[in-house]
Amino acid sequence: MKDPETRDMGSNKYLDVTAVGKAFKGTPVMSDMDFRVGRGELVSLLGPSGCGKTTLLRIIAGLTAADTGEVMLDGRAITSVPPHRRNISVVFQSYALFPHLTVAENVAFGLRARGVNKAAHGPKVAEALALVRMSDFAERPVAALSGGQQQRVAVARALIVDPVLLLLDEPFSALDRKLRETMQVELKTLLRARNMTAIFVTHDQDEAMGVSDRIAVMSAGKIEQFASPSELYARPASAFVMDFVGLSTRLTGKVVETGAGRITVHTAHGSVTAPGDFAAGTKVTIGVRPELIRTEPGENTISVTLEDAMVLGSKTQLHGRAEDPNRLLCELPGMRSSLTPGETVNFGWSIADTLVYEAST
Amino acid sequence: MIRRAERIGFLALPGLSFLAIIYALPLFMLLLKSFQIDGQFSILEYVTFFSDNYSMSVLWRTLRVAFLTTGLALLIAYPTAIIMARAKGIWLSVFLVAMVLPMSVGVIVKAFAWSILFRTRGVLNDTLMSLGLTEAPIRMLFTETALIIGAANVFLPFMVLPIYTVLRQMDSRLPEATVSLGATPVFRFMNVTLPLSLPGVVAGCAFTFSLAISMYVIPSLIVGERQQTLSMLTARSFLYLRNEALGATISSILLIIAISVVLGSSWLASRLGARQ
Repeated sequence: MKDPETRDMGSNKYLDVTAVGKAFKGTPVMSDMDFRVGRGELVSLLGPSGCGKTTLLRIIAGLTAADTGEVMLDGRAITSVPPHRRNISVVFQSYALFPHLTVAENVAFGLRARGVNKAAHGPKVAEALALVRMSDFAERPVAALSGGQQQRVAVARALIVDPVLLLLDEPFSALDRKLRETMQVELKTLLRARNMTAIFVTHDQDEAMGVSDRIAVMSAGKIEQFASPSELYARPASAFVMDFVGLSTRLTGKVVETGAGRITVHTAHGSVTAPGDFAAGTKVTIGVRPELIRTEPGENTISVTLEDAMVLGSKTQLHGRAEDPNRLLCELPGMRSSLTPGETVNFGWSIADTLVYEAST
Repeated sequence: MIRRAERIGFLALPGLSFLAIIYALPLFMLLLKSFQIDGQFSILEYVTFFSDNYSMSVLWRTLRVAFLTTGLALLIAYPTAIIMARAKGIWLSVFLVAMVLPMSVGVIVKAFAWSILFRTRGVLNDTLMSLGLTEAPIRMLFTETALIIGAANVFLPFMVLPIYTVLRQMDSRLPEATVSLGATPVFRFMNVTLPLSLPGVVAGCAFTFSLAISMYVIPSLIVGERQQTLSMLTARSFLYLRNEALGATISSILLIIAISVVLGSSWLASRLGARQ
């Protein structure tokens, strides 16, 4: 398995979406969208519902026509190629298996549609079913399958035609949590082994972090940040990304002092120092990832009254009393049952770990 | 204790007893009568019917008209149902009203309206002649063709609605899944839309055929006495000939055809639906 860091991060533009725009009944969903994916990359489009992620996926698949812009795949413009000639497979949220066909017939559908010689179907179907560990179910009607099994069949059906690109629209959302995690690992391993280029659409950040080399966080028809999961988490490009990916302590305030690459921000919970160059008087949002906070004084220290201490097993989550939009959150490793609500503790963290963004309003 | 589902089953009692008394019982008595001559069991009436050339020609005409009516209705209904299944909002309402509203106009009104259309100097012939497509007016009224067109028109909703319902229930992602697997529109129709709509087609055909084989008013008004159908023959036996045994026999033959169509179609529908 290639190391994700050395994987081609879109520089060869295997999929190249340029300046794509789309409006529904006069309401723009996206405009001037640029999006590039490298060969063999596993990428997620992550965002809240209505952010345009599904529209972008459908434009790439050819199921929705873009109003403007161009989609290139492997150096070929496919913008005006009808979807059945693109050789892009889609796994739908509902799986969209054919209810009148058996598992094997569902999987063979793409071969039949492409007029592949019937003699070649048997071995190919057997291989595809073995790949998703569904060989024993070949002759079953699909209605008799569980959610996880239906998803495996949908994946086998999509992969049997050797697509140039695999698109997955919320593929795990119909599964319960345990199964979802198992299927994520299984699918990722499978796609890696075949060096498949795949794009997942999801609103679940854990899923996106788990399955992707890179994540495009979308909001209101725009890509806010397109980066590796670790980059996204450690250095979110905006307060929106910070809020959408992972948890954080979040404070709003006004810059009162500036100089030497550092600013001092006055917040409702005290003064905080952060790296950055903002003019005095600028309204900013401060963020700190909860596991970077300790319950002891640090370079930045604020006094917090505990509202709740949730012992979650591998970690303990401390929620401090705060007024919206402020949020005080600290995660300590292990079980800390000694901390009780009502108690006053220090939240301390280093200046370098402090994220700061200009407030949007 | 009786299970809840079984107790709820009692709610079907009024409907079932109504059907038993008003529908099943008299038909059963009719069936008995068709096998009786002077109180004795006999199949003579059937032998007479099936060995009579005129009766047989009426039987064949009735079956032929019913088949062709069903075929024509299916031909018109299928594309309509596809469009309706895709329609949304106001357009769907327009289609549904267009399907249901004509049912409230009596068959007699429709039949006289057609006669304006079909008669020798009617709208259709005038149009054909003014377009130069025909020299002399074509005789259309009092023909089997006019009957089939008229009947298909009256029964169209019974064909459209079951097909529409089945298509509407189809997962809207199926067509897209089909396309993304490389299927052309024709392949998609033949391998997904058509097989999935078959239960609706079977139901629609069963409705239309049952209605068409037993129709009385439409053929009476459009083709008249000269070309009889089984229903008209039944009515004549009871009303004019006062031959109850003949009437009962023809009724029973109609009943048997109708029951076979209903049983056959529900068997076919359950077979088609078994894998879904």
